[in-house]
Amino acid sequence: MNVIARLSLLVCLLAGVCVAGASSAENPAPENPGKNEELQRVADTSGRYGGHLTVGQRAEPKTLNPVIATDAVSREVIGRLNADLIEINRATQQTEPALAKSWKTSADGRIFTLQLRRGIRFSDGHAFDADDVIFSFAVYMDENIDSPQRDLLIIDGKPMTVAKIGPYTVRFTLPRPYAAAERIFDGLAMLPRHLLEKPYREGKFAQAWSLNAQPSEIAGLGPFRLKQYVPGQRIVAERNPYYWKVDRDNHRLPYLDEMVFLFVGTENAQVLRFEAGETDIISRLSSENFNLLAHEGTRVSSQLADLGPSLEYNFVVFNQNDLTGKKLDAIARKQVWFRDLKFRQAVNAAIDRDGIVRLVYGTRGTPLWGNVGPGNKLWINQAISHPQRSLETARQLLKSAGFSWKTNGELVDGSGETVDFTIVTSSSNAQRMKMATLLQDDLSHLGMQVHVVPLEFRALIDRVFQSFDYDAAIMGLGGGDADPNPEMNVWMSSGTSHLWNLGEKQPATDWEREIDQLMQRQMVELDYNQRKRTYDRVQQIISENLPFIFLATPNTLAGADGRVGNFHPAVLDPNTLWNADELYIRGGLENAGTR
Amino acid sequence: MQVRVRCKMSGKITWLIILLVGLHLLLLLAGFVAPYDPAAQNRELPYAPPTRLHLWDSSRFHLRPFVYPWSPVDDGYREDRSQAYPVHAFVRGDSYRFLGLFESNLHLFGVENPGKCLLLGADAFGRDEFSRVLYGGQISVAAGIVATAVTLFVGSVIGVVAGYYGGWIDETLMGTTELFLSLPWLYFLLGVRAFLPLHVSAVRTFFLLTCVIGLIGWARPARLVRGVVLSSRTRNYVSAARGFGGADFYLLRRHIAPETFGVLLTQAAMLVPRYIAAEVALSFFGLGVNEPTASWGNMLSALQQYSVLISYGWLLAPAAALFVTSVIYYLLADALHSRLESR
Amino acid sequence: MSYLVRRLVRGILLLAGVSVLCFLFTEMAPGSFFDEMRVNPQISPETIAGLRAQHGLDQPLVVRYGRWVKSALHADLGYSIAYNTPVAPLLWSRAKNTLLLTLTAMVLTWGISLPLGLWAAAKRGGVLDRAITVISSLLIAVPEIVIALALLATAARWRLTPVGGMVSSNFEELSGWEQFRDVVAHLTLPVVILVLCESAVIVRHVRASVLEVLGASYVQTARGLGISRGRLLFRHVLPVAANPAISLFGFSLAGLISGSMLVEVICGWPGLGPLVLDATFSRDLYVVIGGIMFSALFMLGGNMVADIMLMVSDPRIRTGAADAG
Repeated sequence: MNVIARLSLLVCLLAGVCVAGASSAENPAPENPGKNEELQRVADTSGRYGGHLTVGQRAEPKTLNPVIATDAVSREVIGRLNADLIEINRATQQTEPALAKSWKTSADGRIFTLQLRRGIRFSDGHAFDADDVIFSFAVYMDENIDSPQRDLLIIDGKPMTVAKIGPYTVRFTLPRPYAAAERIFDGLAMLPRHLLEKPYREGKFAQAWSLNAQPSEIAGLGPFRLKQYVPGQRIVAERNPYYWKVDRDNHRLPYLDEMVFLFVGTENAQVLRFEAGETDIISRLSSENFNLLAHEGTRVSSQLADLGPSLEYNFVVFNQNDLTGKKLDAIARKQVWFRDLKFRQAVNAAIDRDGIVRLVYGTRGTPLWGNVGPGNKLWINQAISHPQRSLETARQLLKSAGFSWKTNGELVDGSGETVDFTIVTSSSNAQRMKMATLLQDDLSHLGMQVHVVPLEFRALIDRVFQSFDYDAAIMGLGGGDADPNPEMNVWMSSGTSHLWNLGEKQPATDWEREIDQLMQRQMVELDYNQRKRTYDRVQQIISENLPFIFLATPNTLAGADGRVGNFHPAVLDPNTLWNADELYIRGGLENAGTR
Repeated sequence: MQVRVRCKMSGKITWLIILLVGLHLLLLLAGFVAPYDPAAQNRELPYAPPTRLHLWDSSRFHLRPFVYPWSPVDDGYREDRSQAYPVHAFVRGDSYRFLGLFESNLHLFGVENPGKCLLLGADAFGRDEFSRVLYGGQISVAAGIVATAVTLFVGSVIGVVAGYYGGWIDETLMGTTELFLSLPWLYFLLGVRAFLPLHVSAVRTFFLLTCVIGLIGWARPARLVRGVVLSSRTRNYVSAARGFGGADFYLLRRHIAPETFGVLLTQAAMLVPRYIAAEVALSFFGLGVNEPTASWGNMLSALQQYSVLISYGWLLAPAAALFVTSVIYYLLADALHSRLESR
Repeated sequence: MSYLVRRLVRGILLLAGVSVLCFLFTEMAPGSFFDEMRVNPQISPETIAGLRAQHGLDQPLVVRYGRWVKSALHADLGYSIAYNTPVAPLLWSRAKNTLLLTLTAMVLTWGISLPLGLWAAAKRGGVLDRAITVISSLLIAVPEIVIALALLATAARWRLTPVGGMVSSNFEELSGWEQFRDVVAHLTLPVVILVLCESAVIVRHVRASVLEVLGASYVQTARGLGISRGRLLFRHVLPVAANPAISLFGFSLAGLISGSMLVEVICGWPGLGPLVLDATFSRDLYVVIGGIMFSALFMLGGNMVADIMLMVSDPRIRTGAADAG
């Protein structure tokens, strides 16, 4: 008995020690809107104050520093604590004023003059003005810090410049005209100069705002501010009393008292904890889990949303890289097939896309024949052909390309080699693994011997981007923004994500050359309709020449507890939390969310 | 009393061996017993539940069981009672290689196309789970046994040497096991995968699988064996035998090794199923048995998804098969152990 | 005394060896931390190269090892690329949680397995023995991940226990006693999974070795002499049968840090497991190496305790050691 008592004491002690004790201070009430504050009214929003929302995260955030954060989970938290000059409204996919209340563009599209809102304060009460903007951009552009956001501000090899025109006016100058330039500003958080200038000057910026930072060291312009971090368990954010948005009745947002980011882990755990009521919002659901929650969910009330096709596109890419100098002769021999358009067209014709949508996505998906799917209404080229599956057509194509079949059904090329290759894909992505199995079966009907090898994610990246030691790979891209510009590096022959032929000095084919010109043109074209026509042509060329053989896209699936009001998930990331400032808890339960 | 126990033991051992041989025969004859090719997909029947065998229909009793096809409805399947397919014995179906020797297409039982007799339901691609369990067992059980044999052989040699000679040999060897146990094996697996060519043939995959599993696991048995040898080497009869001029190797073989059998048998009965299940982890790195070949390990990896685990319980069939196999092996090991004891 | 000194020296050599081999192994694995950024078409290779240089990833192996050793001597154990903080405090904050879990599980496991194994051996062929055979076979045959998931699903569906984390969100507002209960409630599921999986193995070994001893002639003699069952078991049988059990106990101790990784990940327990696993797959090298050094320490300690216990429990080993050594 004594032992047990001692053990219990030990447990108590450890438990107490393990929790980073924080005072259970009252959550701050929103400040009443002052006369000199220029606040943004979110026209059609209303709700009620109170409550807290628990969000489950796939992994632990690594840092709260907006400049160096690279992983999506950290960015999910950082996005709620910070704000940008111009934001993309995830529902409309259009830009709208944020910290910049208005802006003027010069006629050639190179100069942006932004007017900042006056009277805005950071979450610690300190005033916000143009100096903070200049400082923020100096940090983003600093070559020694190597922020991933720096690349967004470099156009055609030359950086943007920013100058302070007045206490609330800043001017950005682009090295050349850039289509949809305002979209760049979404995701570039404005930093508090009064807190971060010192670490920056001392060269310790990368260590600033790590998870060990005290809440008093961090201040932002987002709807929430850091309250507490419990290592390995959760981050608690409380309302920012100085947030600069009000609802339609002039009540300052956000409605929620607190937002809790719970490190839940794997998708299984996400679903379980959502079902158990421990988390209130769930996103990036697979179709199986979505159906599970819809049909057998034990949760009292929930709102599940199927938003239709997402922006992600999954595809098969054949290795067409230049392999001279690498000792990959076996693959080099197979490249004779991979470089033959008819071969790729035959593969394209043999794929059972309908099967993929049904078996991989449980019908909550859409087949794709191009890189832009129906989820991207603004940019999809509806005129691209969607050929139905036809093994006959595939066989004809192969025959005309010089392939033939042995008596046992195996496909051989013109020189008698059996067509035998391997498809690699990421073992952590169950959907792509299934697509690989389906593809293997489809191609076996053509007599091709296809092997599927799952690889750990980074091992896969190493092969596809670095060593080129693979035959074919199933990968997925897209999902960042609907605009074509983020995809430049995929389609430009010199681009760093030009997967099928990386590191080309010159475009290897005429159609790649044409795509290069078209992409350059659309990048500087300011008129949407012109841009659309140019980009339509790019999509046409891609679907004709099949550098990627497109497979399918999943639907965007998300869910929330029934009590969550203003839940408007969107196709663009972050699907469910983009309007965190407008979310509220219905039903008069102040501490709803506690179980 | 000793004699009676011994007789019971022999009877029990005989029965267990018969069971085991029967099980292995079943697996060897997978091509014949299984009605379908394990890689044959039925894309209209993903996650189909097990086909029900009926003897009664609306009109009368049938001696020959029959099945109804599944037709998909909203969130599942419903039996389509409009067509009945009787189950026949010794039917012609998908072709296979009998014992790897000659081609055949004779199957133990089956139904006429387009009917399907999915005794244990279907997986995500509509492939017959029953056939896959049988074919999968071939690879898994063989891999498990070979890997365990490798592990126990290496482990016992090292453990015996360490325990018998003691002193600095013991310390070096045990130090090596500790080193071995600490290393980041996940990285090693990644490295192995990177080093090997992407496509290794089925035979080589099997060989590789067993080697990797077997060689990683020798440290624990080595320590267990060493512990036992340490204590038994100073037994009186051992000293006596040594006094009589017995050489080291003789002592080891005749007196000390038998002491270790208990531990080894227990470990064996435990390692075989463990190693079969370990393939789940290996396939994450691409070192497991690849699609579309079935193995109990890669079938079980589908169950790592919560939604699959609770909605499609029939996919637990390989776990059940593994359970049955490991029970039989365990009982046999236990019976052998007591047989050795009562000598 | 000299034995302890020898073990210590061996331990230090081992740690050094482990650290070198770790570095070599991590070199073997393809890919690096910043590969995820490589897939993003909006990030340039120059940025990635710059980041690699910042974290010293482009230095040769020897240089990096040297830096790491220096940092280890300063009790930092290197720098986490992902968290941008030193590794040691990161590990320590999670190690406490892991130890809480594994110590509880170990106590319960041995508390259950020893008596069960003894009983099953004593009443061989009885109901309990058969039940243990079946249940332990089930637990060993089904992969741990499936067991864990099944138990997690059951606990979630029937609201038996909280399904994740170590404490509830309102932990700070609870009283001391309620806090204790909260932690215990969260501890239940992972402990149950660990206990089930480990006991299955230990019970079998205990049963097997007790059976062996029970069949020995001197035990039969003792029975014949009229010694009571209980005294027989505890005084004569157990110390001898303890041999493999002690080695297993050593494994339990050795695995205090590393053995619960899978369970922690599945149940969301905030221990070392999820941290090191995540670091392994994201190639956050120094966190992985730090975690391994930590668990190597425990393993050394566990094996040393087991060896000492072996010597203590079995006098033959002591004299044998004196003979041979």
